[in-house]
Parts: sequence; C-alpha cells; structure tokens
Amino acid sequence: MKDEELRRLTALCARCGTCRTVCTLYPERKAEIAVARGKVAVLDAALTGEDEDARGVQEALTDCLLCGRCERACPNQVLVEEILMKGRADMAEKVGVPAWKTILFQGVMRSPAVKGAARRAAAAGQRLLTPVPTESGLHYRFPAGFGTAGRTVPRLPAKGFLDTLGRGEAVSGEVMLFVGCVFDHVYPQVGRAAYETVKASGKPVAVFRDAPCCGLPAMVSGDRRSAMMCAGENLRRIREAAPRAVVFPCGSCLLMFRRNVFSLFPEGHPLREDASFVAERSVDYASFLLSEGVLDRLPDPPAGEKTGEIGYHDPCHLSGTLGRGPQAREVLSRTVGPAFAEMEGADLCCGYGGTFNAREYPTSARIGERKIALAARGGTKVISTACSGCVLQMRDMAARLDPSLRVVHIAELVFQAISGAGRSPGRR
Amino acid sequence: MDSNALSSLGNLFGERLRTSLETRIAYSFDATRKVHLPDAVVFPETAGEVRDAVLLANRHRFPIVPRGAGSGFSGGALPVRGGVVLSTERMDRILSIDTENLYAVVEPGVVTETLKEEARKRGLFYPPDPASLKFSTIGGNIAEGSGGMCAVKYGVTRDYVLGLDAVLGTGELVRTGVSTAKGVVGYDLTRMLVGSEGTLGIVTRATLRLVPYPEATVTLLAFFPGNRNAAAAVNGIVEARVTPSAMELMDRTAIDCVQAVTPVSLPEGTGSALLLEVDGPGDAVGREAGRVEEACRSRGALEVRRASSVSGREELWKLRRSISPGLLRIAPVKINEDIVVPRSRLADMLDFLSGLADRKNVRIINFGHAGDGNIHVNLMISGVDAAETARAEEAVEEIFRTTVEMGGTISGEHGVGISKAPFLEMEVGPLGVSVMKRLKGCFDPNGILNPGKIFLDEAAVRG
Ligand SMILES: Cc1cc2nc3c(=O)[nH]c(=O)nc-3n(C[C@H](O)[C@H](O)[C@H](O)COP(=O)(O)OP(=O)(O)OC[C@H]3O[C@@H](n4cnc5c(N)ncnc54)[C@H](O)[C@@H]3O)c2cc1C
Ligand code: SF4
Ligand code: SF4
Repeated sequence: MKDEELRRLTALCARCGTCRTVCTLYPERKAEIAVARGKVAVLDAALTGEDEDARGVQEALTDCLLCGRCERACPNQVLVEEILMKGRADMAEKVGVPAWKTILFQGVMRSPAVKGAARRAAAAGQRLLTPVPTESGLHYRFPAGFGTAGRTVPRLPAKGFLDTLGRGEAVSGEVMLFVGCVFDHVYPQVGRAAYETVKASGKPVAVFRDAPCCGLPAMVSGDRRSAMMCAGENLRRIREAAPRAVVFPCGSCLLMFRRNVFSLFPEGHPLREDASFVAERSVDYASFLLSEGVLDRLPDPPAGEKTGEIGYHDPCHLSGTLGRGPQAREVLSRTVGPAFAEMEGADLCCGYGGTFNAREYPTSARIGERKIALAARGGTKVISTACSGCVLQMRDMAARLDPSLRVVHIAELVFQAISGAGRSPGRR
Repeated sequence: MDSNALSSLGNLFGERLRTSLETRIAYSFDATRKVHLPDAVVFPETAGEVRDAVLLANRHRFPIVPRGAGSGFSGGALPVRGGVVLSTERMDRILSIDTENLYAVVEPGVVTETLKEEARKRGLFYPPDPASLKFSTIGGNIAEGSGGMCAVKYGVTRDYVLGLDAVLGTGELVRTGVSTAKGVVGYDLTRMLVGSEGTLGIVTRATLRLVPYPEATVTLLAFFPGNRNAAAAVNGIVEARVTPSAMELMDRTAIDCVQAVTPVSLPEGTGSALLLEVDGPGDAVGREAGRVEEACRSRGALEVRRASSVSGREELWKLRRSISPGLLRIAPVKINEDIVVPRSRLADMLDFLSGLADRKNVRIINFGHAGDGNIHVNLMISGVDAAETARAEEAVEEIFRTTVEMGGTISGEHGVGISKAPFLEMEVGPLGVSVMKRLKGCFDPNGILNPGKIFLDEAAVRG
C-alpha cells in the first residue's frame, strides 16, 4: 500500500533529463546516479523488486543534498524530495537506522536538557583543536587525518541563547519564536538578534523553551519514527500554547512545519489537525518583520560607502521551495540600503545538505567553497542568509578559504540597525 | 559478460568502470522510459580510452552502446543486447573556439547549451536548437542529427558538422572532414556518421561551424481561424522572400491544451496560431517583420502581436513553451511522433490527423515546426486501457503510411533507434535497408556498436 503511493509519485518522472541541468551534485559526480532521474529509477527498481539490495539503494538515495533544485526545475512536477525521503525511510525500515543516529535523534535532539549538556561537553573538548580567528567569530580546525581534513567548527558558547533569558522572560505571548537548535546552542547571538527584533514588533513574544529538535535531520536520514517523535512533540506543545504566529529564523525548521509535517502526519492521523494548525501560523522571519512593520520604524539606511558589499544567499528551501527570497531581500534593502546588492550565484546551494555534509564532507566542501569563491570574486564581503545549515556551512567555508568574509543571519543586521538607531532593544 | 572481459575493462578504467546494480539501473533508460540493463558502465576521458574499450569489445565480443545525456526519444542509448554503456559525460571540454575561422572543436559530452553560450560570449552563434539543448550532448545531437525550431532558417546539427574524430566498430580511430568551409576530398564520411545513432562509430571530437550572432530579433504571434489560413500564411511568408528563424504552428488541439494550464488571451474564433521570429541586422529585421505581418493579415489572421524586447518576446513564446508541460495534464502517456511532410502538404496532414483522431477515438495533439513541415504528433492515452493503446498503435501506423505517401519522412528529428525500426523499410525500401546494412558491415564488421538499433534484424549485417 505504502509502496503503491510511492510508485504513483515516481511514475510521473518522464526520464526527460531536465534535472541534470540544475542538480547541485551532478557537476561533482558527473554520473546519472547523482541526479533525480537516476535516483528515481533506482528507487523504482527497488519498489518492483528488481533491486533487492536495500543498502545499495539507500546509498544511492542518500548521496544527495535534498536541495530540491531538481524538483523546482522538473517540467512534470515530480515531488523528488518527498520521493527521496520516503524512499530513504523505506530502505531504513529494511536495513535499519544506525544506532548512534537513533540515540542522537531520540536521546539528544529531542531533549532540551541533554542538548545543552552535549554542547557543554563539546565546548570543553574544543580546547584541543587549533583556533582560527574569522570575521564571524572564532573557529576551530580539526587536525589533518582527524575525520575530515580541514573542517572547521564554530567555538561553542558556554551558554545557549535560552540560558541567557530571564526565568520569567518571554514565557507567554501571541507570537512564538521557534529559535531552533543551532541558533540556540551554536550561535546564541543569532537567537538573541531574532528575539530582540521580533520583539520590536511590539507584540508580546514567547520564546519556545522546551522545543525538541524540529525533526528534519531524522526525517532526511529516513528515520521517520524519530522524526515523528520530534515533530509531533513540537506540534502538540505549539498547539497547546495556541500562538497567533510562529516565527522561524531558520528556513529548514520552517520547511518542516510548513510542508514536511503533512507527509509525516497524513490525512487521518491524529496529529494531522495540529499539523495544519501549526503550518497555517508558521512564518519566516523576514515576512514577519515586514507584516508587522518592524522596519518602518527604522531611519533611512545609511547611504554610501559600503555599496554592494552585503549579499544574500538563498537557502534552498526558504527561497526555492517556500518562495521567500523576495521578503528577505526587502528586509535587507530596508535595513542596510545600498550596501545590499545581489551577489554572484546567490541561488546556488551552499553544499551543506545536513547529513550530506557529515557523510560527504570533501564533496560538500568543494560545493561550498565554489559558492563562496564566486561571491567573493563578485565583490561581496558579507554574506547574509536565513537558515541555520547555510550559516554553519558558509562560516566553515569562509574560515577555510577567506576568514575576512563575514557570514551573518539577516536578523543580526536588523538587530544592529535597530540598536544603532538609538532604540533600546534590550529589556522591555 | 564474462569475467575476463570485465577485469580487462577494470584494468583500463579503474574506478571509472562501474558495475554496481544501482549504477547500471541509472544507465538503463533514456527519455523513451524503456529499460534495458547494461552489464557495466564506463566513463572514458580520452579518445584513446574509447578506442581501447572498442578493441577489447572486439576481442571479447560484447556490445558497446555510446550514451550522452540519455535524452533520446527513440531508444538509441538503450543497451538492448546488454554489454557496456560508454558514457561521454567525462569528455565534456570545449577544446577551442576559433573566432577568425568560425569554428569550435569540442569533445562529445559537451552540453549543447554550453557550446551555444560560449560561442555567444564571442559574438558567435551555434544555431542547432533541439528543445533538449539544456541537457543533450553534442555527441547525441550528432548521432541523432538533431534539430529544432531554427532549422527553417539555419538548418540542423548536420549542417554544422565540419569534421569528426570517431572510433569505428573495428577500434580504428578515424578523422573525417575539414575545418574549412569547403572540402570535397573523397566520400563524405562526416555525413555518414552524422545521424548514425552510434551504430557506425563513437564520436570522440567534433569540429563545428559557427556563424555571426544575429544583431536583432523580432517575435510575432499570429492567430488564425484555422490551419488552412495558417498554412497559407506560411507559404505567403516564403513568397514574400522572408526566411524566419522560427515558424511554429499550434493547432486547435495544442492551444486548448495550453489554455487548460496557463491561459493566454486569444482573439475570438482562434483555431490555429503561428509563432514567428525574424532575426538579422537591426534595420533589416523591422522591415522583414513588417512583411511577415502583412503576409499573415492577407491570409486572414485575426490578430498579430509583435515584440522585440526580451520580456515582450518571452511573453509571446509562452503559448508555445507551455504545450509540453500541458500535455502531461491531459493523459499520463503520450506517444510522441515527429513526422515531416512537404510544406505544401501541411494543412492536408493536419486535416488527416484531425479526422484520424475522430475515427480512432484517440486524442491527438499537434504542433510543430511549420517552416520545415515537421509536426510533433502526440497521441494521448491512459496507458492502462489495452483497447485504446491498440487503437493508438493502429493510428501511428496509419500516420506513418500517409506521411510517406505525401512524400514525407517518419522522423525529422528523433531517429530510428528501436522505436521506429519496424517502419524503416516502409520509408527507405528493401534496397535502401540492404545498402545501409552493407555499410554497417564495413564500419563495424563484428556488430559491436549499439546492436539492435535501426534494423529489426542484423543477421545480414554480420554477413
Ligand atoms: C524534453 C525533450 C525535448 C527534445 N526535443 C528535441 C528536439 O527539439 N529536437 C530533436 O532533434 N531532439 C529532441 N529531443 C531528443 C534528444 O534530446 C536528442 O535526440 C538529443 O540529440 C539526444 O542527445 P543525448 O546526448 O541525450 O543522446 P543520447 O540519448 O544519450 O543518445 C542518443 C543516440 O546517440 C548516440 N550517441 C551519443 N553519444 C554519442 C557519441 N559520442 N558518438 C556516437 N554516438 C553517440 C547514442 O548511442 C544514441 O543512439 C528531445 C528530448 C527531450 C527529452
Ligand atoms: S526533470 Fe522531472 S521528469 Fe524529468 S527526469 Fe528529472 S525528475 Fe524526471
Ligand atoms: S535534491 Fe539537489 S542534489 Fe539531490 S538530486 Fe535534486 S538537485 Fe541533485
């Protein structure tokens, strides 16, 4: 039954080859197996029983960034991402999910307390690594031969963003801020910037405290069970709090609640209604600022000397799948004025792809470095964006390639502008 | 394939030999959606490697099927007899563009659009424009003799191939042709290889003619009450001594199909439309567009729209470009034929098709390159109703027969492959087939290259 549904989706693929022209991975692999058409064919063979090697199929389906460029270019509207995620789940059912992943998704990512403890432990361990100062903060480089040569990681903070909130602060309000794991634990300054600027709307803001991970990392790994646990818990708690809007500084978390929950909780599932409730209220950070007129209160952005040095990187899902590229750009031009200009290759995938980066670091890094180099050559000095994976990846790439290149979340720029405007962004 | 052959291939190609089931599946199809599994896939990087692979195939007697982007519509790249798929994806360099002598030298895996863009950057034009140009390869274009909308003025791939390097079925690497505008020394082996669908030789390098990029382009979209008026306008334009760079005809069936997806405003009573484009020197283009418009109006055009800006032209193209995506909304399976009739018989053919659709009770959607009489005939079926499928197959056979009777050809662009092999003799006759088989025997005596294509049976080929 489940297979039939999947086969209905794969049957739409005409094997035309259009997806070859846009695939992020194709230039790296130069083989049909890299692109949507090849993967859909492999999955078809698995579904009909012609390919019984679930591990081989899993391997083929997993070598992909899930950037969705293929899906958006497909003239036949083949739902490639849905197909690949379902296919991965099917294969995971046959061969299982590695135990460490299950522990990570269910034991760590689902529990805010454990997430914090893990961060503290990792932060302590970082002292063993080589420091690399960059414009976007201190990074550490892994020694050669240690896992993935050349990889750098951000210095983990002693306190997450949520740890810095006062006990009674931002506990209830009609606007809920979904900070996300990365902007809480890795880049608390982004969490802070998002919070302060969302609060500048004048609406009471509740920061979602006990949020488990959104569930996307588990879902793309084919671990649907963990994904449903994480996402489901979020849905129930958001529903309970009944906010008017849920604001997401991270495009990937937003994708989870705007689109993927419908695949996890299909028609008839007890959580389906909660999924619709949350999806209807979920909005990206930029759209929220615009709809609330937060930027109207800013003075005219400074004209001048830094013309064109800030670019915007389109997160695949936020700009592509959810079509929120124009909103982020409007926020930028109203915040930094002529300092914002389109950067070269703005809509190219950064190469992160979540689990792809962990599995295939050298390939992920080549894709990312190419992207960063293109932007830098075009004169961009600050790359802004609005997705946690993209920030992680591009900061790593900048640390490797050109530490003077800054990578920021748009909220940081807005926060800076609001603070600079003499507004008191702090306590209310 | 025996394991000796595979291990020899492994010695040659190292990690560029792939035998995993998943990779073989990924190289088992093309745009026909038919599936034939190869035993292995190789990714050569040089002509020498291609030659060595073919020599090995002669020694061990396994088939080799060249493959570009696998976007063919006739099954050319399918390994119907198993063997090795030889992918040209890693031979994708543009070796040079000579701006003085106007030619480019490229490897076969270069994507058509990449060459067009590189030429354009130098003020030059590589005209062949199959609709698949964003992904199809030059090697595939040459092997299929592909063409597109601008064929009416600029011709097809065949008209731009000056010379080739190719590895024959024997494993010999031959260089054919010239890199000059003229050349008549000996038989024209270049043209022999163009359109040979990978059955005579594997192209490893091509020298392609370029022309200056046209200065300006004007697009016109003319609406007519019916196909007769549109066909008359096409002749009127030719009489007015204008050669448009595109003349796309969309009949009522195609217009309806687009209207269902992305409605375009149409004048009352539209039964047919022509999309026209003229290009050339800036001052001449305006005058030519005027004559085209006049020819349309005098043949009963209901309305003629005209644009020269990029965005305005794109708007006019919308009707034509929306047809293919629209087709899938109509029925899950399309049988796609690309017949050509003499331009003077265009209206007769369209009348015949409309009658046939009624008679066979199959929905048929027609559009195409009116300037060269090439009609894309799409029979839309559910694919699950056996009786309907049978009626559609009868219809196809009738279409081919009528096409040949009208003095036309059963494939203008997509080639024979396996899809049209049963009809080869219908068009070229038994002697034609026999001469072709003898030629095949001379290029590829052991039947190594792409067996099972073009000819229904190859017994005579191997002799
Ligand atoms: C959406 C779509 C639109 C299309 N529109 C058009 C159109 O407007 N006009 C048109 O003419 N075609 C069209 N086609 C068909 C197809 O794109 C062309 O036939 C194209 O030339 C095939 O190129 P390819 O690289 O995909 O070749 P493949 O499909 O990989 O191979 C085609 C044939 O060429 C042979 N071959 C490939 N490389 C070599 C080589 N180096 N040496 C020798 N033989 C080789 C193969 O063995 C095979 O027989 C379209 C296809 C699609 C999917
Ligand atoms: S573009 Fe869409 S229909 Fe075409 S091959 Fe790719 S997935 Fe299939
Ligand atoms: S999701 Fe991205 S990487 Fe994966 S097949 Fe599609 S375009 Fe390629």
